Amino acid sequence: MMDEDKELIFQCQRGKMKAFKTLVEKYKKPAFFVALGLVGNREDAYDLSQEAFVRVFRSIKRYNPEHKFFTWFYTILSNLCKNHLKRRGVQKSHLENIDLAQDVYSPDVILEKNEINLRLWEEISKLPYEFKEIILLKHFHEFSYRKISETLNIPLGSVMSRLYYARKKLKENLKDILD
Amino acid sequence: MDCQDVKTYLMAYIDGEIDSQKKSEIEKHLSGCEKCIKEYRSFLKLKEVTEKMKFTDLSDELWAGYWKGIYRRVERSAGWIFLSIGAIILLAFGVFQFFKEFFTDPSVSLIVKMGVGAFSLGIIILLVSIIRERLFLFRTERYREVER
Ligand SMILES: [Zn+2]
Repeated sequence: MMDEDKELIFQCQRGKMKAFKTLVEKYKKPAFFVALGLVGNREDAYDLSQEAFVRVFRSIKRYNPEHKFFTWFYTILSNLCKNHLKRRGVQKSHLENIDLAQDVYSPDVILEKNEINLRLWEEISKLPYEFKEIILLKHFHEFSYRKISETLNIPLGSVMSRLYYARKKLKENLKDILD
Repeated sequence: MDCQDVKTYLMAYIDGEIDSQKKSEIEKHLSGCEKCIKEYRSFLKLKEVTEKMKFTDLSDELWAGYWKGIYRRVERSAGWIFLSIGAIILLAFGVFQFFKEFFTDPSVSLIVKMGVGAFSLGIIILLVSIIRERLFLFRTERYREVER
């Protein structure tokens, strides 16, 4: 699988559009859903994940084949999402009494819109970025610890401790429905 | 294993990412520690709840259009490059035509002609680059407005 990516990237570096298309088709779903979890609504997630691919294409010559493609891609995508959230925060900060998370975290994206799921989605949206990120990778993308460690570029031990504190926080905020 | 060790390996235990040695050590501790078993159960409950939440998928139509959107953006940036090159060539040609007498005057030395030529070309490239940047900023800012 890794060799396949390397070959595709090698082709992309020589300007082969077809190889780039194959790469996009292969990773578009994880890209979109990662962004969806991070920014909370379909429109932004669609746009930001596409933009991440465009940036990949523009900087493909600088890609270091020592790293896995998805790790590199994730860094680009995550930075785009983080900046997007920051910008949105700044735009909203001068408006009072607006719950930042709620009007951009769309409940539409939840498959089964029951009370628990909607509350959970709301609480995830309010988590600090690093906590949100690791919860999403573990639960919605079903990444193994090894894959999380590669994707976030942190040691396995940090994966476990970050996950512990992220879940602890989420658990406390959801106390009323978990008990 | 004490309570602190359990804390360290609890996530790995819950997610099934633990070796059998540590697993049995944790289970031994849990069977005798009220505090840790309580914490373990609440984490497990959270995991169950979280795993039930799923995202709705996009329509096939949107997935089909995904690549097209990317291609369009990539192509557009290629378009800008050609547009800029074209603009530079045309402006340079225009300048040459305008000062044709100067450039073809045999009494002016070649070195001066080259100097004036390079100078004009520099101004043209800077001009095109500034216009491009302005247009791009305008486009993205307007886009951000729409996005809100
Ligand atoms: Zn204990």
